[in-house]
Amino acid sequence: MIRPQPMIELRRLFRIFGDTRAVDDVSFEVNAGQVFGYIGPNGAGKTTSMRILATLDLPTFGDAFVDGFSVINDPDRVRRRLGFMPDDFGTYPYVNCAEYLDFYARAYGLVGRERHRALRHVMGFTGLDRMAEKPIRGLSKGMKQRLCLGRSMIHDPSVLILDEPAAGLDPRARIELRVMIRELAAGGKTVLVSSHILTELAEICDQIGIIEQGRLLATGSVADIQKQFAPHRQIRARVLDRVADVAQWLSQRDDVSDVRVDGELLRFSHEGNRLQEAALLKEMVQADFVVAEFASHEKSLEDVFLHVTQGYVQ
Amino acid sequence: MTSDLSVPRDDAQADAATGVWSRMDLYLERAGEWLNPILVKESRQALKSKQFTITFALLLLCGWGWSFLGTMVGGRAVEIVYGYYWVLAIPLLVIVPFSAYRSLAAEREDGTYELLSITGLNSRQIVTGKLGSAILQMLVYYSALSPCIAFTYLLRGVSILSVLLILFYTFVLSLSASAVGLFAATLTKHRNWQVLISVVYLCALLLVGWIWSEELVWDLLRYESIRFDNPETWVANLAIVSGFGAGILMTIVAAAANITFASDNRATRLRIVMLLHQGLYVGWMIYWYVKEQHGEWLLVMSCFGAAYWTLTGALMTGETAELSPRVKRSLPQSLLARMLFTWFNPGAGTGYVFAVINLGVLLAVGVIAGTVGKTLGRSMGYFADHYAWFSLFLWMYIAAYLGVGRIIIAALRRFLHFGLLLPVLIHIMLIVLGVAIPMIIHGWYYGFEFYERDYSLLHAMNWAFSLGIIMDEGVEIYPFTFGVIAIGSVLIFVVNYFLAIRDVEQVRLATPQRVQEDDREIHPERFLEPRKPKSPWDEDD
Ligand SMILES: Nc1ncnc2c1ncn2[C@@H]1O[C@H](COP(=O)(O)OP(=O)(O)O)[C@@H](O)[C@H]1O
Ligand SMILES: [Mg+2]
Repeated sequence: MIRPQPMIELRRLFRIFGDTRAVDDVSFEVNAGQVFGYIGPNGAGKTTSMRILATLDLPTFGDAFVDGFSVINDPDRVRRRLGFMPDDFGTYPYVNCAEYLDFYARAYGLVGRERHRALRHVMGFTGLDRMAEKPIRGLSKGMKQRLCLGRSMIHDPSVLILDEPAAGLDPRARIELRVMIRELAAGGKTVLVSSHILTELAEICDQIGIIEQGRLLATGSVADIQKQFAPHRQIRARVLDRVADVAQWLSQRDDVSDVRVDGELLRFSHEGNRLQEAALLKEMVQADFVVAEFASHEKSLEDVFLHVTQGYVQ
Repeated sequence: MTSDLSVPRDDAQADAATGVWSRMDLYLERAGEWLNPILVKESRQALKSKQFTITFALLLLCGWGWSFLGTMVGGRAVEIVYGYYWVLAIPLLVIVPFSAYRSLAAEREDGTYELLSITGLNSRQIVTGKLGSAILQMLVYYSALSPCIAFTYLLRGVSILSVLLILFYTFVLSLSASAVGLFAATLTKHRNWQVLISVVYLCALLLVGWIWSEELVWDLLRYESIRFDNPETWVANLAIVSGFGAGILMTIVAAAANITFASDNRATRLRIVMLLHQGLYVGWMIYWYVKEQHGEWLLVMSCFGAAYWTLTGALMTGETAELSPRVKRSLPQSLLARMLFTWFNPGAGTGYVFAVINLGVLLAVGVIAGTVGKTLGRSMGYFADHYAWFSLFLWMYIAAYLGVGRIIIAALRRFLHFGLLLPVLIHIMLIVLGVAIPMIIHGWYYGFEFYERDYSLLHAMNWAFSLGIIMDEGVEIYPFTFGVIAIGSVLIFVVNYFLAIRDVEQVRLATPQRVQEDDREIHPERFLEPRKPKSPWDEDD
């Protein structure tokens, strides 16, 4: 069976600044029409790897490919296929939204009707048509992000690289952004989108990669990662007497970990299904512990993220 | 053009629209399609900016104000014209170049340049677009003041040709200053350095503007010293303009090279421009020699030419020979093409050979012209007998010094990363030490007074002393020393030549499958018949 050619591929990518390994042996692939969420705390190396993909920087070792073209050997071909939305972008004074987009359309070599069509499409898609005459300096953060997204897709690239597009947006703008990204993917575009908040992207990503200190710690669908890193369920129990003894008793068991005591409350992770949970409760009662409450839930995405990353924030 | 942007419409719709204006608008827009996008953007931006509005208003105000004032007080014609000149000179010689500089520098500081660089625009279009916008602004200022200039025609006592010539050269100066500004903007991305550069640049603008306006323009107006009926005046002007043109071209190409990605080929275009310089230079050198028949002219021109190739050679020997795979896919393949064009490839080795060959050609042309001239009985000056020897040894010295510098730089490159500044400093140091060391040793032993009889083998590396001796006495008195110099330089050249072979032997890389597929999609016509290389570079898009 021939595997489809990935639209984005990082192959053993390294980027070293002095003694900082900003990107440290990262490899992954994204297939056409997929949204890949690139998640990691600040300083993890997201921007650095995205800049390499956008041909703005060169890897120290390794290579990256967009639609099969190497960013090192054929940067111009990569550029034609790729739209890049950096995390912060400068604009020009005395230029309004329409002129800004028009300028980039020209810069990408679009002429005549083709350019008008592209402008109309992008302004419609991003909802900027009402803002066409507004100077960029006066736009809200959400509108600026839309403009920047519009700029990065003006030449109809098949791959979009969005660096923290949701940062600093209000909840409504964030939802609208998610809808736009999903729409782009539905239209066949491959999207690589980064964030330092997993939950922000979880529902729109086909795949995510968790990166920290330049290393890719996990890749896969959100469900896969949740399963892989959180086979445990979180249990909360209220015990009315001898709390320390209960904690002691629990921590001696193999299926229990991370026992934390908080007054009468006990929190711990339990490995096993719901039946085994019930059996555990029975055992606790039989051991004469006064259990007043017993509840369990799956670990949240944030729990997973905290579990995977070690919390080195720079 | 701006108005219909907000509501992009179909051409069909536009065609239906009647009226001269909408048709005009359409034509303008059609023309705009093919203009450099940077030019379009910059012009829109510049013409909307506060700075432009204020300058323009002030220019009009001062122009008209001066007209009234001048005529009311009954000023002399030259004074009135000189006043207009100042009204124009400040925007043209200071404001336009400085805003060209700022627009590129800001682009690099704000990170907007990065976004531009990954569009379809190349760095050359970016630089020329900015220059184009500067030209447009200049033209707007000129046309705003044109009624005043027309008014001067009515005033008796000024030659309109002088006025036009002054206006023309002010334009040329403004253009050159803008080009230099754009180049200065590409030198660094760091804000602190950028501040320093802007201060230096602004001072230079003021100084040049002042010298031109105060010293030259005023004299030209007052004394009417230019004889327009003499054809030589026009030839001289042609020479000056061609010099400015060559300089502006070089500055633009160099600025574009500075902001090109390292993986692109930044050298070839610069070397082509150098070759163009060489052609122009040799042409004017011969023209004025034939015209004036002074041998000294050849000598002076040869020395300036040698300085040019020493400087460019110093820069070229500082290049790294890293050719990106993309450049390697389009290297010349045939033997002849490789012999002729390899020297245009980036790299210190090819750059060294390129500089040495070109310098050789320049000096040889001078010697041949001098020899022919002498047999035809033209004055060659007192150095006539030694001119050929002088040129030969000048050539050998430069080849040797550049060669030694290049070897040192190549050795340093193994341990350090550096740009072009260090190589130039190394070359300067070598050239200075070459004179200083023998002088100091000599002075140490025999005292610090130098006579011709003190010349000896010790001064073999002392290019200044040796060339002075040749100029005065030729080479016959010191055959041994000059023999050593000759053999030494040839050796250094040969060593460098063989070191350069590594750069030269870069061969064409096969084009990867995926790239061929892509080419087939973009340019299907090229694949209908087997492709023959059309040019030695044979760029693939
Ligand atoms: N140009 C640079 N020079 C030196 N260090 C850099 C440079 N760019 C990024 N870094 C370092 O690389 C690491 C990763 O940065 P970055 O990719 O911006 O992280 P992220 O985008 O995930 O927040 C950080 O430690 C940062 O300090
Ligand atoms: Mg970042």
